[in-house]
Amino acid sequence: MSRSAPRRTENHKINKDLFVLTYGALVAQLCKDYEKDEDVNKYLDKMGYGIGTRLIEDFLARSCVRRCHSYSEITDIIAQVAFKMYLGITPSVACRNSSRNEFSLILDKNPLVEFVEELPAGRSSLCYCNLLCGIIRGALEMVHLTADVTFLQDRLKGDSVTEIGITFLKKLEEKRYRRKK
Amino acid sequence: MAVCVAVIAKENYPLYIRSVPTESELKFHYMVHTSLDVVDEKISAMGKALVDQRELYLGLLYPTEDYKVYGYVTNSKVKFVMVVDSSNTALRDNEIRSMFRKLHNSYTDVMCNPFYNPGDRIQSRAFDSMVTTMMIQVC
Repeated sequence: MSRSAPRRTENHKINKDLFVLTYGALVAQLCKDYEKDEDVNKYLDKMGYGIGTRLIEDFLARSCVRRCHSYSEITDIIAQVAFKMYLGITPSVACRNSSRNEFSLILDKNPLVEFVEELPAGRSSLCYCNLLCGIIRGALEMVHLTADVTFLQDRLKGDSVTEIGITFLKKLEEKRYRRKK
Repeated sequence: MAVCVAVIAKENYPLYIRSVPTESELKFHYMVHTSLDVVDEKISAMGKALVDQRELYLGLLYPTEDYKVYGYVTNSKVKFVMVVDSSNTALRDNEIRSMFRKLHNSYTDVMCNPFYNPGDRIQSRAFDSMVTTMMIQVC
């Protein structure tokens, strides 16, 4: 099978509002289940991790990207190909340190928070889109790269933009690779 | 220019009520309350005739010497009531309809907020600012 053949012949589209409302219902239910914001953030990240480990295969099959040679190339691919493919937005990339292993993705428009105006009272440290951090972390881990992905700035918390920070850590050795639960 | 805007839930309690600050705000609250009877009358009258073609906009509910009260009901039986100044004769039916349409759109956005529970009071900033623009000027 040629590598450039499309994975699916038809493109199934679903309504964006349905997806945004589903995500909102997920976060609202987690907020009802767990009192502490850290717990909600942790479980969103865990769920995202599960999605990311599976999504990477679909992404690689559909996008046919070349092998990357640097962390900045990887971050560019995440921003320009992956985000565009799955969320329809293209965040801008900025490098945060001189050793070129810390990057940030700046999202000026986030479709997931379209209907949320502000975080509810008592939930001021909730990272509403923490699922995205987990997805990026899980996907990178499946290509043997460990990274720390967190929200540095969040419009819902009052900052001017939404910024996701990716810090690439040491590369995982293949022999010692163990799937985290 | 609206002087009072109210959103009433299906069970007939207010989800949102705001009026232009005057000495007798209670008077507006009372007018909205009494207009609910007229709304129910209109819904039941239309309901028997043509259920399919029932329009959301109810039109002028009742006029008083100073004010006119307009109503609008959604398919989920949430009612919007608007009180406007009678002296403002330039206000036409089309403008009132478009004001109600804007209210309905903002209300839909409030409902889509995952942290809003249906039946709670509406405390959205976007909704407040939209109502403020309706009170300051005609849309």
